[in-house]
Amino acid sequence: MLGAIETTLIYTFLLGSLYLLVSLGFSLICGVLRIFHLGYAYIFTATVYLTWMFMTLFGTPPYSTTVLVISIICMLAVQAGIAIAIYKGLIVRYIRHEEIIILGLLFVAIIVEQATLRFYPIQTGVYLETTVIPGVSKIGQVTVSNQLIFAAILGIVITGLFVLFFLKTKLGLAVRAISYDIYSSRLMGIQVQRVFMIVMVMVLIPVIAATLAIVPIWAVDPYMGWGYMSIAILVSVLGGLGNIKGTIIASYIIGFCHSVVGFVIAEPQYMGLSALVVVLVMLMVRPEGIAKSETVW
Amino acid sequence: MEFEVKRERLVLRAGGGKWEWHIEPRYWRNPLIFVGILIVAPVIIYFWYPPLLATVIEANLLAAIAIPLALMTIGTGRMNFGPQFYIGIGGYAAALLSIHAHLSPGLTMIAAALGGLIFGFLMSPLAIISGGLYYSLLTLLFPLLFLEVTYIFTDLFKGDTGLSSTPGAEITPLVSTGSFSLNLLCYALISLTIMLVYLFIMDKIFRSRYAIQMAAINDDEEVANSIGVNVNKVKILSFTIAATLVAVIGWFYAHYYQAFSGQVFLPLSFMLKIFMVTMLGGRTQIYGCVIGGYFIAFLEMILIRTTGDMSPVLFPIILLILLLVLPEGLFGLYRKRHYREYMPTLRFRR
Amino acid sequence: MTEILKVSNVSKHFGGLTAVNDVSFSINEGETVGLMGPNGAGKTTLVNMICGSYGVDSGKIEFLGKDITKLPPWKRCKLGICRTYQIPRPFPELTTIASVCVSALYGKDRPNRSLEDAMTEATHYLEFVGLFSKRNVLARDLTLFEMRGLELARALATQPKLIFVDEVMAGLNPVEAEKAVRLIEHAKDQFGVTVLWIEHVMAVLMRAAERVIVLHYGEKIAEGPPKEVADNPMVIESYLGRS
Repeated sequence: MLGAIETTLIYTFLLGSLYLLVSLGFSLICGVLRIFHLGYAYIFTATVYLTWMFMTLFGTPPYSTTVLVISIICMLAVQAGIAIAIYKGLIVRYIRHEEIIILGLLFVAIIVEQATLRFYPIQTGVYLETTVIPGVSKIGQVTVSNQLIFAAILGIVITGLFVLFFLKTKLGLAVRAISYDIYSSRLMGIQVQRVFMIVMVMVLIPVIAATLAIVPIWAVDPYMGWGYMSIAILVSVLGGLGNIKGTIIASYIIGFCHSVVGFVIAEPQYMGLSALVVVLVMLMVRPEGIAKSETVW
Repeated sequence: MEFEVKRERLVLRAGGGKWEWHIEPRYWRNPLIFVGILIVAPVIIYFWYPPLLATVIEANLLAAIAIPLALMTIGTGRMNFGPQFYIGIGGYAAALLSIHAHLSPGLTMIAAALGGLIFGFLMSPLAIISGGLYYSLLTLLFPLLFLEVTYIFTDLFKGDTGLSSTPGAEITPLVSTGSFSLNLLCYALISLTIMLVYLFIMDKIFRSRYAIQMAAINDDEEVANSIGVNVNKVKILSFTIAATLVAVIGWFYAHYYQAFSGQVFLPLSFMLKIFMVTMLGGRTQIYGCVIGGYFIAFLEMILIRTTGDMSPVLFPIILLILLLVLPEGLFGLYRKRHYREYMPTLRFRR
Repeated sequence: MTEILKVSNVSKHFGGLTAVNDVSFSINEGETVGLMGPNGAGKTTLVNMICGSYGVDSGKIEFLGKDITKLPPWKRCKLGICRTYQIPRPFPELTTIASVCVSALYGKDRPNRSLEDAMTEATHYLEFVGLFSKRNVLARDLTLFEMRGLELARALATQPKLIFVDEVMAGLNPVEAEKAVRLIEHAKDQFGVTVLWIEHVMAVLMRAAERVIVLHYGEKIAEGPPKEVADNPMVIESYLGRS
């Protein structure tokens, strides 16, 4: 019994913090730009495979840490470029036709996935040596990988930085204002287009951090993005689209759900289904999500 | 119930209601030419190059999926991002009943339609409760979760590989004449019939009082409610009817391929194909869905023939370019010149 | 004179704000009743509650002897209540005639009526408000006065027994205002409806209404013939403030 509670608490903390990183970006884009970034999945796949591509370009196996770091920097540049290109090419032009934006973003994700599948099929054995803290530790009766603990702590740190950014900086204030009322924000002199672009690039940071941290311990394949995006959607819908407070609470709820179903009841195949059931029940009871507002804070 | 034939109209009175249809043969020229081409084309292709009929069948089926979707979109006022869920329901129902209970295709069609009806009815409250964003996300997730369920119950649904015909436990084909090409021709004509029936039904609905009601709901739901339109009933009905019609297409897929795998129909790639059919057809224009269906099916076939294994990458790229370049769709360009008045328009809501 | 609407002790709270507090009144058939009050007094909230857009927190509403407090808005419409909107809410993508056709078809359950019949009926209502020549114009392309006329036609096409007219004068110049008042009086004569008129402009109510109810901060502070209400010190204070 004590073991079960321990397992639940530890995995709720670990999984919840990780899901927080994964969902923060999706929730922010929904809340600030007011579009569904249904192509969110491409960011995960692109992180891993772009880094791998640069690594094979710059070095030969076994890859040294320098090559890895340079590849990561190149990948960041390319990802930022892609995000800006998507913003300028797709979102700005079709802001009035939301179906086109959603479909276009989905297409981008599918194109990335198919291109990855074509050029780096699963057999290539893509692997990034981004383990920061190797080994495992034993907390009570539970053995967890140190990398996972690192990822969870990274999640909390990044989320904290984001919250500080929104509360204390001028740009953060602008973002919050836009999420309340776009037209009034424009009247107050906020350059909405520029802020949107900055948000789109900022949102990449937690996702890339999460992916790079998780890659050594969890599976990597071209389809990995969809699983994470599913979680991001569930957490965002549960927490109230675009609201950071709600997202924080919701990611721990989903983390709790997954840890109970996956580790205590030990039926990992039902994890996705159980999370959806929880979200559906919540939506029946309180259709706007946990935090009843769709503003950032 | 009473049916009257006046000089240029048919009048039906039943249960206190009255429905009139104007018969105006002068407007029949274009539709008749259209339908004529669609019927004659497969026959010509049969004599010229039969394997092309597979593409024609695919085109008819894509169009037949997109047409009820127009009803669902206009009736509920929201876009359902997971229509392939009902294909899955219909297909698995037909395949399972055919394999395990050895039911004939006619009975499995009724079962598939019933499945679509029940699941559509159970899910229709979503259109009432949740608003634009949440509705889209949830409908997006349902097919993916159905896919997961098929993986969980692998013995029943046969997971990755899906259900297929094995000797002794087969999914009976709809047609089995001796020759493969003649089979294809029959399938093509059956799928064409289904699509034309759907087209006819939707055309009649979109020219009737129900369409004006749906247009009012789309424009301003609260006002429509206060002038006497029962908004909830309209949403539930259009959702359920559309779900039933889409499930029948799933039935067709199961008996046509004599196999059915969720892996093919439930993920997002199939959904995007359906949506491109809708988009190329000018969103909710039902005649445009036919054009869109044929365009997408033939485009895919040409890509596979010419580029081989790069086609899964090129196909979405071309579709994305088409989406950005032609926001009105192919048919939308035609519609701009022949603007109709109270045809219900689509508003994507928050 | 039979009583057709009876509102008993209705209240509505929005969080901590009390919009309508324990209001009771009744309306008799064939009357024109005015509803007055400064901005924020709760007039539109009260009308929303009677028509069904908002739920009632406490109290009862009876129409033609039936308790309609829990009925959905469309059922109330079929019983005979309809309203126009302060800021006109036409169906932007529908033409004028199609808008009126919707209410002609669905406003009342009438047997033996097809789409064509409803369209014909809609033309009669459009002609009444003077919009027949604009019947194929999209509703969003009309001027403000024409939109108000369309609202009225749409409400009348549901064949109501009681119609709520919400601030028809706002934004109209004196000529149009005069036309609007005459239109509503005409409607009363021709279609035999009872009118509850929400208005700021005292002159109109003086002329058209037989009885006026005044709301202030959600409570009823005066009720009676217009002359009496105009001289009531509490009413004057609510509009002009205490000197």
